[in-house]
Amino acid sequence: MVATKKTKKTHESINNRLALVMKSGKFTLGYKTVLRSLRNSKGKLIIISNNCPPLRKSEIEYYAMLAKIGVHHYNGNNVDLGTACGKYFRVSCLSIVDPGDSDIIKTLPGDH
Amino acid sequence: MVKFLKPNKAVILLQGRYAGRKAVIIKSFDDGTRERPYGHCLVAGIKKYPSKVIRKDSSKKTAKKSRVKAFIKLVNYQHLMPTRYTLDVDLKDIVAADSLQTKDKKVTAAKETKKRFEERFKTGKNRWFFTKLRVYSYNHVVFAIDWCLEIGIEDLDFT
Repeated sequence: MVATKKTKKTHESINNRLALVMKSGKFTLGYKTVLRSLRNSKGKLIIISNNCPPLRKSEIEYYAMLAKIGVHHYNGNNVDLGTACGKYFRVSCLSIVDPGDSDIIKTLPGDH
Repeated sequence: MVKFLKPNKAVILLQGRYAGRKAVIIKSFDDGTRERPYGHCLVAGIKKYPSKVIRKDSSKKTAKKSRVKAFIKLVNYQHLMPTRYTLDVDLKDIVAADSLQTKDKKVTAAKETKKRFEERFKTGKNRWFFTKLRVYSYNHVVFAIDWCLEIGIEDLDFT
């Protein structure tokens, strides 16, 4: 079974889409607010970095399973995800509440 | 985008005196009230789980072992872990938002809940709800074992 390798092109497009969300949409960064957005079902997509601690990652996935919200595992660590969001701090998980002009919600959740 | 903190949802309390206990949501206040301006819910949980009943127990022993002690509490959503289980026990008529105001109302509500829980335990349904959550402590960090099995981690790196 060939492991699906994320090509550079799709990775860049995710970054582009994320940048558009940061500019035009509503989002929250960080574990506490991600859980909050999951609890009141305001989140539409959750993005988790690859070095998020496994217990926390599973917890977010469990909440997302209950709330039927898609989770995307970002191909990069929290430093990269922070940079992709245009922030100067690390972001381990983020929740997109309103995508604005971006089509990130439609194109991403094939991935769980 | 489905709301899951709804009545009849089984949850686990994470903080407070009843941490590690399983409970069922009776009423949820998503936007809070004036006294509690945060999302919270009224839960009825198990204070003392029923013991394991075996076949060779006499009926007196079975009755003693199947006793459940219940509690009723208003809990912040942040102090709950929701699960995929539900418990279909009709507690809306015995437990209301005002049951927690005076001590005797609370006691009568808890006694009624205890009765309903015991009936449900005796039928053998919802077995997950009436089993204790196995918890152990490792390097001063407490992990809930069957919680982890529940969410699918078999091998954790305890750091």
